[in-house]
Amino acid sequence: MKIFAAGAYQELLSSRRERMPQILLAVFVGMVTASSVIGWLTNQVVTSVYDRTYAAGLTTQPNPFSAVSPLYYAKNTVIYIILIGALLAIVVGVQSTIRDRKAHTFDLVLSRPVRPASYLGAKLVGLLFWVAGILALSAAISWTSIGAIVGSVLSPGDTIRLLGFYALAWLFLLPFIVLGMLTGLYSRRETTSLLVPIVTWSVLTFVVPQLGTAEHPVSLLNPVPAIASQGGVFQLANLVLGPLSLTEHFKHASGYVLGNTVGAGNPLLSLAVMVAFAVSLLVVLLTTQRDRMRSPLDE
Amino acid sequence: MNDTAIKTTELSHSYGPKAALVGLNLSVREGEIFGLLGHNGAGKTTAVSLLTTLIAPTKGTATILGLDIHTDADEVRRTIGYLPENVQFYGNLTLLENLRFFARLSGLQKPDARIREVLEFLDFTGHDSERLETFSKGMRQRVGIAQSILHNPKVLFLDEPTSGLDPQGVRNLREIILNLNRHFGMTIFMNTHLLSEVTQTCTSIGVLREGELVYQDSLAATLTAFPDEASLEDIYLHIEARPGQ
Repeated sequence: MKIFAAGAYQELLSSRRERMPQILLAVFVGMVTASSVIGWLTNQVVTSVYDRTYAAGLTTQPNPFSAVSPLYYAKNTVIYIILIGALLAIVVGVQSTIRDRKAHTFDLVLSRPVRPASYLGAKLVGLLFWVAGILALSAAISWTSIGAIVGSVLSPGDTIRLLGFYALAWLFLLPFIVLGMLTGLYSRRETTSLLVPIVTWSVLTFVVPQLGTAEHPVSLLNPVPAIASQGGVFQLANLVLGPLSLTEHFKHASGYVLGNTVGAGNPLLSLAVMVAFAVSLLVVLLTTQRDRMRSPLDE
Repeated sequence: MNDTAIKTTELSHSYGPKAALVGLNLSVREGEIFGLLGHNGAGKTTAVSLLTTLIAPTKGTATILGLDIHTDADEVRRTIGYLPENVQFYGNLTLLENLRFFARLSGLQKPDARIREVLEFLDFTGHDSERLETFSKGMRQRVGIAQSILHNPKVLFLDEPTSGLDPQGVRNLREIILNLNRHFGMTIFMNTHLLSEVTQTCTSIGVLREGELVYQDSLAATLTAFPDEASLEDIYLHIEARPGQ
Protein backbone atom coordinates (compact mmCIF):
# COMPACT_ATOMS: atom_id res chain seq x y z
CA MET A 1 0.00 0.00 0.00
CA LYS A 2 2.86 2.35 0.86
CA ILE A 3 4.51 1.56 -2.47
CA PHE A 4 1.22 2.34 -4.22
CA ALA A 5 0.93 5.66 -2.36
CA ALA A 6 4.54 6.52 -3.27
CA GLY A 7 3.80 5.91 -6.96
CA ALA A 8 0.62 7.98 -6.87
CA TYR A 9 2.31 10.87 -5.04
CA GLN A 10 5.28 10.85 -7.41
CA GLU A 11 2.91 11.01 -10.39
CA LEU A 12 0.95 13.85 -8.84
CA LEU A 13 4.15 15.79 -8.22
CA SER A 14 5.61 15.20 -11.69
CA SER A 15 2.39 16.00 -13.56
CA ARG A 16 1.88 19.18 -11.61
CA ARG A 17 5.29 20.41 -12.77
CA GLU A 18 5.02 19.53 -16.47
CA ARG A 19 4.71 22.62 -18.66
CA MET A 20 2.17 21.44 -21.26
CA PRO A 21 -0.46 20.32 -18.74
CA GLN A 22 0.06 23.61 -16.91
CA ILE A 23 -0.73 25.55 -20.09
CA LEU A 24 -3.80 23.42 -20.83
CA LEU A 25 -4.91 23.75 -17.23
CA ALA A 26 -4.65 27.54 -17.46
CA VAL A 27 -6.69 27.48 -20.69
CA PHE A 28 -9.31 25.19 -19.13
CA VAL A 29 -9.74 27.21 -15.94
CA GLY A 30 -9.64 30.41 -18.04
CA MET A 31 -12.45 29.11 -20.28
CA VAL A 32 -14.60 28.12 -17.29
CA THR A 33 -14.03 31.58 -15.82
CA ALA A 34 -14.68 33.29 -19.17
CA SER A 35 -17.86 31.25 -19.54
CA SER A 36 -19.02 32.52 -16.15
CA VAL A 37 -18.22 36.14 -17.05
CA ILE A 38 -20.03 35.82 -20.39
CA GLY A 39 -23.04 34.29 -18.63
CA TRP A 40 -23.06 37.11 -16.11
CA LEU A 41 -22.74 39.82 -18.82
CA THR A 42 -25.50 38.22 -20.91
CA ASN A 43 -27.77 38.12 -17.89
CA GLN A 44 -26.98 41.73 -17.00
CA VAL A 45 -27.53 43.07 -20.53
CA VAL A 46 -30.75 41.14 -21.18
CA THR A 47 -32.14 42.02 -17.75
CA SER A 48 -31.27 45.70 -18.17
CA VAL A 49 -32.90 45.82 -21.64
CA TYR A 50 -35.89 43.90 -20.27
CA ASP A 51 -36.24 46.28 -17.30
CA ARG A 52 -36.26 49.33 -19.60
CA THR A 53 -38.69 47.65 -22.02
CA TYR A 54 -40.95 46.60 -19.18
CA ALA A 55 -40.82 50.09 -17.61
CA ALA A 56 -41.76 51.59 -20.98
CA GLY A 57 -44.77 49.28 -21.04
CA LEU A 58 -43.59 47.58 -24.23
CA THR A 59 -43.90 44.05 -22.80
CA THR A 60 -45.85 42.17 -20.19
CA GLN A 61 -43.89 38.96 -20.61
CA PRO A 62 -41.62 37.87 -17.72
CA ASN A 63 -37.86 38.33 -17.87
CA PRO A 64 -36.61 35.39 -19.99
CA PHE A 65 -33.89 34.70 -17.40
CA SER A 66 -36.31 34.49 -14.49
CA ALA A 67 -37.50 31.04 -15.61
CA VAL A 68 -34.01 29.73 -16.23
CA SER A 69 -32.42 27.26 -13.78
CA PRO A 70 -29.24 28.63 -12.20
CA LEU A 71 -27.42 25.56 -13.56
CA TYR A 72 -28.18 26.82 -17.08
CA TYR A 73 -25.03 28.92 -16.70
CA ALA A 74 -22.88 25.80 -16.31
CA LYS A 75 -24.15 24.40 -19.61
CA ASN A 76 -21.19 25.49 -21.73
CA THR A 77 -18.76 23.85 -19.34
CA VAL A 78 -19.85 20.53 -20.88
CA ILE A 79 -18.16 21.59 -24.11
CA TYR A 80 -15.01 22.80 -22.35
CA ILE A 81 -14.74 19.41 -20.66
CA ILE A 82 -15.15 17.63 -24.00
CA LEU A 83 -12.71 19.86 -25.87
CA ILE A 84 -10.04 21.11 -23.48
CA GLY A 85 -10.54 18.72 -20.57
CA ALA A 86 -10.17 15.63 -22.77
CA LEU A 87 -7.02 17.04 -24.41
CA LEU A 88 -5.59 17.83 -20.99
CA ALA A 89 -6.39 14.27 -19.86
CA ILE A 90 -4.68 12.81 -22.94
CA VAL A 91 -1.58 14.96 -22.49
CA VAL A 92 -1.11 14.11 -18.80
CA GLY A 93 -1.76 10.43 -19.55
CA VAL A 94 0.82 10.29 -22.34
CA GLN A 95 3.43 12.21 -20.36
CA SER A 96 2.97 9.97 -17.36
CA THR A 97 4.23 6.86 -19.16
CA ILE A 98 6.46 8.47 -21.80
CA ARG A 99 8.35 10.21 -18.98
CA ASP A 100 9.43 6.87 -17.53
CA ARG A 101 10.29 5.41 -20.92
CA LYS A 102 12.38 8.43 -21.92
CA ALA A 103 14.21 8.54 -18.60
CA HIS A 104 14.62 4.71 -18.47
CA THR A 105 13.19 4.79 -14.96
CA PHE A 106 10.88 1.82 -15.56
CA ASP A 107 14.01 -0.35 -15.15
CA LEU A 108 14.66 1.16 -11.73
CA VAL A 109 11.06 0.64 -10.69
CA LEU A 110 10.75 -2.91 -12.00
CA SER A 111 14.03 -4.05 -10.45
CA ARG A 112 12.27 -3.46 -7.11
CA PRO A 113 9.45 -5.57 -5.69
CA VAL A 114 6.78 -3.67 -7.63
CA ARG A 115 4.15 -5.24 -9.89
CA PRO A 116 3.57 -3.52 -13.27
CA ALA A 117 -0.18 -3.32 -12.60
CA SER A 118 0.43 -1.85 -9.17
CA TYR A 119 2.82 0.82 -10.49
CA LEU A 120 0.63 1.76 -13.46
CA GLY A 121 -2.42 1.77 -11.20
CA ALA A 122 -0.62 4.07 -8.78
CA LYS A 123 0.29 6.44 -11.60
CA LEU A 124 -3.32 6.48 -12.73
CA VAL A 125 -4.56 7.22 -9.22
CA GLY A 126 -2.08 10.12 -9.01
CA LEU A 127 -3.41 11.52 -12.28
CA LEU A 128 -7.01 11.04 -11.18
CA PHE A 129 -6.30 13.04 -8.04
CA TRP A 130 -4.68 15.74 -10.18
CA VAL A 131 -7.68 15.89 -12.52
CA ALA A 132 -10.05 15.82 -9.53
CA GLY A 133 -8.21 18.84 -8.14
CA ILE A 134 -8.67 20.74 -11.41
CA LEU A 135 -12.34 19.83 -11.58
CA ALA A 136 -12.82 20.85 -7.94
CA LEU A 137 -11.29 24.23 -8.79
CA SER A 138 -13.60 24.55 -11.81
CA ALA A 139 -16.58 23.55 -9.66
CA ALA A 140 -15.69 26.25 -7.14
CA ILE A 141 -15.41 28.84 -9.92
CA SER A 142 -18.76 27.75 -11.40
CA TRP A 143 -20.50 27.71 -8.00
CA THR A 144 -19.22 31.19 -7.13
CA SER A 145 -19.95 32.71 -10.52
CA ILE A 146 -23.45 31.24 -10.78
CA GLY A 147 -24.15 32.65 -7.33
CA ALA A 148 -22.92 36.07 -8.55
CA ILE A 149 -25.05 35.88 -11.71
CA VAL A 150 -28.30 34.91 -10.02
CA GLY A 151 -27.60 37.11 -7.01
CA SER A 152 -27.99 34.38 -4.41
CA VAL A 153 -26.18 31.35 -3.08
CA LEU A 154 -26.87 28.17 -5.06
CA SER A 155 -29.43 25.93 -3.28
CA PRO A 156 -28.19 22.64 -1.76
CA GLY A 157 -30.03 20.71 -4.46
CA ASP A 158 -28.40 22.67 -7.28
CA THR A 159 -25.03 22.47 -5.53
CA ILE A 160 -25.33 18.68 -5.45
CA ARG A 161 -26.30 18.64 -9.12
CA LEU A 162 -23.29 20.83 -9.97
CA LEU A 163 -20.97 18.51 -8.01
CA GLY A 164 -22.61 15.53 -9.72
CA PHE A 165 -21.85 17.08 -13.07
CA TYR A 166 -18.16 17.48 -12.19
CA ALA A 167 -18.06 13.90 -10.89
CA LEU A 168 -19.46 12.84 -14.25
CA ALA A 169 -16.78 14.94 -15.98
CA TRP A 170 -14.14 13.10 -13.94
CA LEU A 171 -15.55 9.76 -15.11
CA PHE A 172 -15.64 11.04 -18.71
CA LEU A 173 -11.97 12.10 -18.54
CA LEU A 174 -10.79 8.80 -17.03
CA PRO A 175 -10.75 6.83 -20.33
CA PHE A 176 -8.82 9.64 -22.01
CA ILE A 177 -6.17 9.58 -19.28
CA VAL A 178 -5.86 5.80 -19.62
CA LEU A 179 -5.81 6.04 -23.42
CA GLY A 180 -2.94 8.54 -23.15
CA MET A 181 -1.07 6.26 -20.74
CA LEU A 182 -1.53 3.31 -23.08
CA THR A 183 -0.29 5.11 -26.18
CA GLY A 184 2.61 6.38 -24.08
CA LEU A 185 3.44 2.73 -23.35
CA TYR A 186 2.77 1.22 -26.75
CA SER A 187 3.96 3.88 -29.23
CA ARG A 188 7.45 3.78 -30.63
CA ARG A 189 7.69 7.56 -30.87
CA GLU A 190 6.59 10.35 -28.58
CA THR A 191 4.81 12.17 -31.40
CA THR A 192 2.75 9.06 -32.24
CA SER A 193 1.85 8.61 -28.61
CA LEU A 194 0.15 12.01 -28.67
CA LEU A 195 -1.25 11.78 -32.17
CA VAL A 196 -3.08 8.47 -31.76
CA PRO A 197 -5.24 9.44 -28.74
CA ILE A 198 -5.97 12.88 -30.22
CA VAL A 199 -7.18 11.30 -33.47
CA THR A 200 -9.21 8.80 -31.42
CA TRP A 201 -10.73 11.65 -29.42
CA SER A 202 -11.66 13.57 -32.58
CA VAL A 203 -13.23 10.46 -34.12
CA LEU A 204 -15.29 9.86 -30.94
CA THR A 205 -16.25 13.54 -30.70
CA PHE A 206 -16.97 14.42 -34.32
CA VAL A 207 -16.95 11.49 -36.74
CA VAL A 208 -18.95 8.85 -34.86
CA PRO A 209 -21.78 11.21 -33.78
CA GLN A 210 -21.89 12.73 -37.27
CA LEU A 211 -22.41 9.32 -38.87
CA GLY A 212 -25.41 8.62 -36.66
CA THR A 213 -27.02 12.04 -36.65
CA ALA A 214 -26.05 13.66 -39.96
CA GLU A 215 -25.25 16.76 -37.92
CA HIS A 216 -22.86 19.38 -39.22
CA PRO A 217 -19.57 19.02 -37.27
CA VAL A 218 -19.94 22.55 -35.87
CA SER A 219 -23.30 21.54 -34.37
CA LEU A 220 -21.51 18.88 -32.41
CA LEU A 221 -19.85 21.68 -30.43
CA ASN A 222 -23.28 22.42 -29.01
CA PRO A 223 -23.62 21.20 -25.42
CA VAL A 224 -27.02 19.76 -26.28
CA PRO A 225 -26.75 16.22 -27.72
CA ALA A 226 -27.38 15.79 -31.43
CA ILE A 227 -30.67 14.09 -32.32
CA ALA A 228 -30.33 10.70 -34.00
CA SER A 229 -31.50 10.63 -37.62
CA GLN A 230 -34.60 8.65 -38.39
CA GLY A 231 -34.62 6.24 -41.29
CA GLY A 232 -32.07 5.17 -43.83
CA VAL A 233 -28.40 4.59 -43.38
CA PHE A 234 -27.98 7.22 -40.64
CA GLN A 235 -30.42 5.42 -38.35
CA LEU A 236 -28.55 2.18 -38.91
CA ALA A 237 -25.24 3.94 -38.31
CA ASN A 238 -26.62 5.41 -35.11
CA LEU A 239 -27.74 1.99 -33.96
CA VAL A 240 -24.29 0.53 -34.53
CA LEU A 241 -22.09 3.48 -33.60
CA GLY A 242 -24.31 5.07 -30.96
CA PRO A 243 -22.65 3.24 -28.05
CA LEU A 244 -19.28 4.51 -29.26
CA SER A 245 -20.35 8.16 -29.16
CA LEU A 246 -18.68 8.72 -25.81
CA THR A 247 -18.86 12.49 -25.94
CA GLU A 248 -22.55 12.46 -26.92
CA HIS A 249 -23.25 10.14 -24.00
CA PHE A 250 -21.44 12.57 -21.73
CA LYS A 251 -23.68 15.36 -23.09
CA HIS A 252 -26.77 13.20 -22.44
CA ALA A 253 -25.77 12.38 -18.88
CA SER A 254 -24.62 15.94 -18.15
CA GLY A 255 -27.88 17.33 -19.50
CA TYR A 256 -29.77 15.07 -17.11
CA VAL A 257 -27.63 16.01 -14.11
CA LEU A 258 -27.76 19.75 -14.87
CA GLY A 259 -31.51 19.62 -15.43
CA ASN A 260 -31.41 20.36 -19.17
CA THR A 261 -33.85 17.71 -20.26
CA VAL A 262 -33.67 18.62 -23.99
CA GLY A 263 -32.34 15.49 -25.67
CA ALA A 264 -31.23 14.03 -22.35
CA GLY A 265 -32.02 10.49 -23.55
CA ASN A 266 -31.48 7.62 -21.16
CA PRO A 267 -28.94 8.82 -18.59
CA LEU A 268 -28.36 5.32 -17.21
CA LEU A 269 -27.43 4.04 -20.67
CA SER A 270 -25.06 6.97 -21.09
CA LEU A 271 -23.50 6.31 -17.70
CA ALA A 272 -23.13 2.62 -18.58
CA VAL A 273 -21.35 3.50 -21.83
CA MET A 274 -18.94 5.81 -19.99
CA VAL A 275 -18.21 3.15 -17.37
CA ALA A 276 -17.74 0.51 -20.10
CA PHE A 277 -15.15 2.70 -21.86
CA ALA A 278 -13.30 3.30 -18.60
CA VAL A 279 -13.32 -0.35 -17.51
CA SER A 280 -12.21 -1.73 -20.90
CA LEU A 281 -9.25 0.62 -21.10
CA LEU A 282 -8.36 0.00 -17.45
CA VAL A 283 -8.19 -3.73 -18.09
CA VAL A 284 -5.78 -3.16 -20.99
CA LEU A 285 -3.64 -0.82 -18.88
CA LEU A 286 -3.45 -3.08 -15.85
CA THR A 287 -2.48 -6.13 -17.90
CA THR A 288 0.49 -4.36 -19.50
CA GLN A 289 3.58 -6.55 -19.41
CA ARG A 290 7.00 -5.62 -18.03
CA ASP A 291 8.62 -5.92 -21.48
CA ARG A 292 6.20 -3.34 -22.88
CA MET A 293 7.00 -0.88 -20.10
CA ARG A 294 10.74 -1.32 -20.71
CA SER A 295 10.53 -0.98 -24.50
CA PRO A 296 12.76 1.80 -25.83
CA LEU A 297 11.54 4.77 -27.84
CA ASP A 298 12.76 5.22 -31.43
CA GLU A 299 14.31 8.64 -30.93
CA MET B 1 26.40 -18.30 4.98
CA ASN B 2 26.20 -18.84 1.24
CA ASP B 3 29.65 -18.14 -0.21
CA THR B 4 28.32 -17.79 -3.74
CA ALA B 5 26.61 -14.47 -4.39
CA ILE B 6 25.67 -15.02 -8.02
CA LYS B 7 25.38 -18.32 -9.80
CA THR B 8 24.00 -18.91 -13.26
CA THR B 9 23.33 -22.28 -14.85
CA GLU B 10 22.88 -22.47 -18.62
CA LEU B 11 21.25 -19.05 -18.45
CA SER B 12 19.98 -18.09 -21.90
CA HIS B 13 17.84 -15.43 -23.45
CA SER B 14 16.67 -14.81 -27.01
CA TYR B 15 15.00 -11.77 -28.54
CA GLY B 16 12.82 -13.51 -31.10
CA PRO B 17 15.09 -15.69 -33.21
CA LYS B 18 18.22 -13.82 -32.08
CA ALA B 19 20.07 -15.43 -29.19
CA ALA B 20 21.45 -12.71 -26.94
CA LEU B 21 22.85 -14.94 -24.22
CA VAL B 22 23.68 -18.61 -24.66
CA GLY B 23 24.10 -21.06 -21.76
CA LEU B 24 25.82 -18.71 -19.35
CA ASN B 25 27.50 -20.59 -16.49
CA LEU B 26 28.95 -18.08 -14.10
CA SER B 27 29.81 -17.92 -10.45
CA VAL B 28 30.62 -14.82 -8.40
CA ARG B 29 31.60 -15.14 -4.75
CA GLU B 30 30.31 -12.87 -2.01
CA GLY B 31 32.36 -9.71 -1.54
CA GLU B 32 33.82 -9.79 -5.06
CA ILE B 33 33.81 -6.98 -7.58
CA PHE B 34 33.13 -8.78 -10.83
CA GLY B 35 33.64 -7.10 -14.20
CA LEU B 36 31.79 -8.50 -17.19
CA LEU B 37 33.60 -7.51 -20.37
CA GLY B 38 32.60 -7.81 -24.00
CA HIS B 39 32.08 -5.89 -27.21
CA ASN B 40 28.85 -4.01 -27.89
CA GLY B 41 26.06 -6.53 -28.39
CA ALA B 42 27.97 -9.34 -26.65
CA GLY B 43 25.06 -9.86 -24.22
CA LYS B 44 26.32 -7.99 -21.13
CA THR B 45 23.17 -5.91 -20.61
CA THR B 46 20.98 -8.96 -21.27
CA ALA B 47 22.89 -10.82 -18.55
CA VAL B 48 22.33 -7.98 -16.07
CA SER B 49 18.66 -7.65 -17.08
CA LEU B 50 18.19 -11.36 -16.36
CA LEU B 51 19.98 -11.21 -13.01
CA THR B 52 18.01 -8.15 -11.93
CA THR B 53 14.76 -9.98 -12.87
CA LEU B 54 13.82 -7.41 -15.51
CA ILE B 55 13.51 -10.12 -18.15
CA ALA B 56 12.85 -13.82 -17.86
CA PRO B 57 15.29 -16.44 -19.14
CA THR B 58 14.23 -18.48 -22.14
CA LYS B 59 16.35 -21.32 -20.70
CA GLY B 60 18.44 -22.01 -17.63
CA THR B 61 18.35 -20.38 -14.25
CA ALA B 62 20.29 -18.19 -11.84
CA THR B 63 20.42 -17.54 -8.12
CA ILE B 64 21.35 -14.44 -6.16
CA LEU B 65 22.49 -15.38 -2.65
CA GLY B 66 20.66 -18.67 -3.11
CA LEU B 67 17.41 -17.03 -4.28
CA ASP B 68 16.09 -18.12 -7.65
CA ILE B 69 15.57 -15.20 -10.05
CA HIS B 70 12.35 -16.76 -11.31
CA THR B 71 10.66 -18.35 -8.30
CA ASP B 72 11.94 -15.87 -5.68
CA ALA B 73 11.90 -12.80 -7.92
CA ASP B 74 10.51 -10.39 -5.32
CA GLU B 75 13.00 -11.53 -2.70
CA VAL B 76 15.82 -11.13 -5.23
CA ARG B 77 14.58 -7.58 -5.91
CA ARG B 78 14.78 -6.78 -2.20
CA THR B 79 18.33 -8.13 -2.07
CA ILE B 80 19.85 -6.32 -5.02
CA GLY B 81 20.58 -2.76 -6.08
CA TYR B 82 20.70 -1.76 -9.73
CA LEU B 83 21.99 1.16 -11.75
CA PRO B 84 21.12 0.86 -15.47
CA GLU B 85 23.07 2.60 -18.21
CA ASN B 86 21.89 6.09 -19.21
CA VAL B 87 19.15 6.41 -16.61
CA GLN B 88 17.88 10.01 -16.47
CA PHE B 89 15.59 10.03 -13.42
CA TYR B 90 12.73 12.49 -13.00
CA GLY B 91 14.20 15.82 -14.08
CA ASN B 92 11.41 17.95 -12.68
CA LEU B 93 11.71 16.44 -9.21
CA THR B 94 14.39 17.43 -6.73
CA LEU B 95 17.15 15.12 -5.55
CA LEU B 96 15.33 14.47 -2.30
CA GLU B 97 12.00 13.80 -4.05
CA ASN B 98 13.65 11.34 -6.44
CA LEU B 99 15.42 9.47 -3.66
CA ARG B 100 12.33 9.40 -1.43
CA PHE B 101 10.36 7.85 -4.27
CA PHE B 102 12.89 5.07 -4.93
CA ALA B 103 13.42 4.50 -1.22
CA ARG B 104 9.69 3.97 -0.70
CA LEU B 105 9.52 1.61 -3.67
CA SER B 106 12.28 -0.35 -1.92
CA GLY B 107 10.11 -0.58 1.18
CA LEU B 108 11.72 2.10 3.37
CA GLN B 109 8.96 3.65 5.49
CA LYS B 110 10.67 6.84 6.69
CA PRO B 111 13.57 7.19 4.31
CA ASP B 112 14.93 10.69 5.06
CA ALA B 113 17.52 9.62 7.66
CA ARG B 114 18.81 6.88 5.40
CA ILE B 115 18.92 9.25 2.40
CA ARG B 116 20.99 11.70 4.45
CA GLU B 117 23.35 8.88 5.46
CA VAL B 118 23.79 7.72 1.86
CA LEU B 119 24.35 11.24 0.53
CA GLU B 120 27.00 11.85 3.18
CA PHE B 121 28.67 8.56 2.31
CA LEU B 122 28.74 9.65 -1.34
CA ASP B 123 29.97 13.12 -0.34
CA PHE B 124 26.98 14.56 -2.16
CA THR B 125 25.31 16.88 0.32
CA GLY B 126 23.85 20.35 -0.32
CA HIS B 127 21.83 19.46 -3.42
CA ASP B 128 18.65 18.18 -1.76
CA SER B 129 16.26 20.75 -3.16
CA GLU B 130 17.82 21.05 -6.62
CA ARG B 131 15.92 19.57 -9.55
CA LEU B 132 17.72 16.82 -11.41
CA GLU B 133 17.28 18.54 -14.78
CA THR B 134 20.07 20.91 -13.64
CA PHE B 135 22.50 18.07 -12.74
CA SER B 136 25.58 17.10 -14.76
CA LYS B 137 26.11 13.51 -15.92
CA GLY B 138 28.52 12.90 -13.05
CA MET B 139 26.02 14.21 -10.49
CA ARG B 140 23.25 12.05 -11.97
CA GLN B 141 25.50 9.03 -11.73
CA ARG B 142 25.90 9.71 -8.00
CA VAL B 143 22.13 9.93 -7.73
CA GLY B 144 22.04 6.59 -9.52
CA ILE B 145 24.41 5.01 -7.02
CA ALA B 146 22.48 6.62 -4.15
CA GLN B 147 19.12 5.18 -5.25
CA SER B 148 20.70 1.77 -5.77
CA ILE B 149 22.10 1.47 -2.23
CA LEU B 150 19.31 3.13 -0.21
CA HIS B 151 17.94 -0.21 0.96
CA ASN B 152 21.38 -1.68 1.83
CA PRO B 153 21.47 -4.28 -0.93
CA LYS B 154 23.90 -7.16 -0.60
CA VAL B 155 24.55 -7.35 -4.33
CA LEU B 156 24.87 -4.34 -6.60
CA PHE B 157 24.55 -4.43 -10.39
CA LEU B 158 26.06 -1.59 -12.40
CA ASP B 159 25.57 -1.42 -16.16
CA GLU B 160 28.35 0.63 -17.78
CA PRO B 161 28.58 2.92 -14.74
CA THR B 162 31.41 5.06 -16.16
CA SER B 163 29.77 5.61 -19.56
CA GLY B 164 29.87 9.30 -20.49
CA LEU B 165 31.76 10.42 -17.41
CA ASP B 166 34.79 12.73 -17.52
CA PRO B 167 38.09 11.49 -15.99
CA GLN B 168 37.31 13.09 -12.63
CA GLY B 169 33.85 11.51 -12.66
CA VAL B 170 35.36 8.13 -13.46
CA ARG B 171 37.82 8.48 -10.57
CA ASN B 172 35.07 9.52 -8.14
CA LEU B 173 32.89 6.62 -9.16
CA ARG B 174 35.77 4.18 -8.80
CA GLU B 175 36.33 5.36 -5.23
CA ILE B 176 32.64 4.96 -4.47
CA ILE B 177 32.57 1.40 -5.84
CA LEU B 178 35.66 0.44 -3.87
CA ASN B 179 34.27 2.00 -0.69
CA LEU B 180 30.95 0.19 -1.06
CA ASN B 181 32.84 -3.07 -1.35
CA ARG B 182 35.30 -2.37 1.49
CA HIS B 183 32.95 -0.75 4.01
CA PHE B 184 29.80 -2.79 3.45
CA GLY B 185 31.17 -5.97 1.89
CA MET B 186 28.84 -5.44 -1.05
CA THR B 187 29.21 -7.84 -3.96
CA ILE B 188 29.41 -5.77 -7.12
CA PHE B 189 28.68 -6.99 -10.63
CA MET B 190 29.46 -4.49 -13.34
CA ASN B 191 29.44 -4.34 -17.09
CA THR B 192 32.09 -2.11 -18.50
CA HIS B 193 34.13 -1.17 -21.52
CA LEU B 194 36.80 0.65 -19.55
CA LEU B 195 39.55 -1.89 -19.00
CA SER B 196 41.63 0.56 -16.97
CA GLU B 197 38.70 0.65 -14.54
CA VAL B 198 38.56 -3.10 -14.38
CA THR B 199 42.27 -3.24 -13.51
CA GLN B 200 41.83 -0.78 -10.67
CA THR B 201 38.47 -1.96 -9.37
CA CYS B 202 37.61 -5.59 -10.10
CA THR B 203 38.74 -8.71 -8.27
CA SER B 204 37.53 -11.06 -11.00
CA ILE B 205 36.46 -10.83 -14.62
CA GLY B 206 34.45 -12.62 -17.26
CA VAL B 207 34.47 -12.11 -21.01
CA LEU B 208 31.34 -12.49 -23.12
CA ARG B 209 31.55 -13.01 -26.85
CA GLU B 210 28.41 -13.18 -28.97
CA GLY B 211 26.35 -14.23 -25.99
CA GLU B 212 28.76 -16.88 -24.70
CA LEU B 213 31.08 -16.66 -21.74
CA VAL B 214 34.53 -17.41 -23.12
CA TYR B 215 36.60 -16.62 -20.05
CA GLN B 216 36.25 -16.25 -16.27
CA ASP B 217 38.89 -16.01 -13.57
CA SER B 218 40.20 -13.75 -10.85
CA LEU B 219 41.98 -10.62 -12.04
CA ALA B 220 45.22 -11.65 -10.37
CA ALA B 221 45.16 -15.08 -12.02
CA THR B 222 44.30 -13.49 -15.35
CA LEU B 223 47.24 -11.10 -15.21
CA THR B 224 49.67 -13.93 -14.42
CA ALA B 225 48.14 -16.37 -16.92
CA PHE B 226 49.09 -14.18 -19.86
CA PRO B 227 52.72 -13.22 -19.18
CA ASP B 228 53.29 -12.21 -22.80
CA GLU B 229 50.57 -9.55 -22.74
CA ALA B 230 51.50 -6.10 -21.49
CA SER B 231 48.11 -4.99 -20.18
CA LEU B 232 44.57 -6.15 -19.46
CA GLU B 233 43.58 -4.55 -22.74
CA ASP B 234 46.00 -6.86 -24.58
CA ILE B 235 44.75 -9.86 -22.58
CA TYR B 236 41.14 -8.98 -23.37
CA LEU B 237 41.88 -8.64 -27.10
CA HIS B 238 43.79 -11.92 -26.99
CA ILE B 239 40.83 -13.72 -25.36
CA GLU B 240 38.40 -12.10 -27.79
CA ALA B 241 40.47 -13.19 -30.79
CA ARG B 242 41.07 -16.83 -29.87
CA PRO B 243 38.80 -19.56 -31.23
CA GLY B 244 35.63 -20.48 -29.32
CA GLN B 245 35.92 -22.94 -26.44
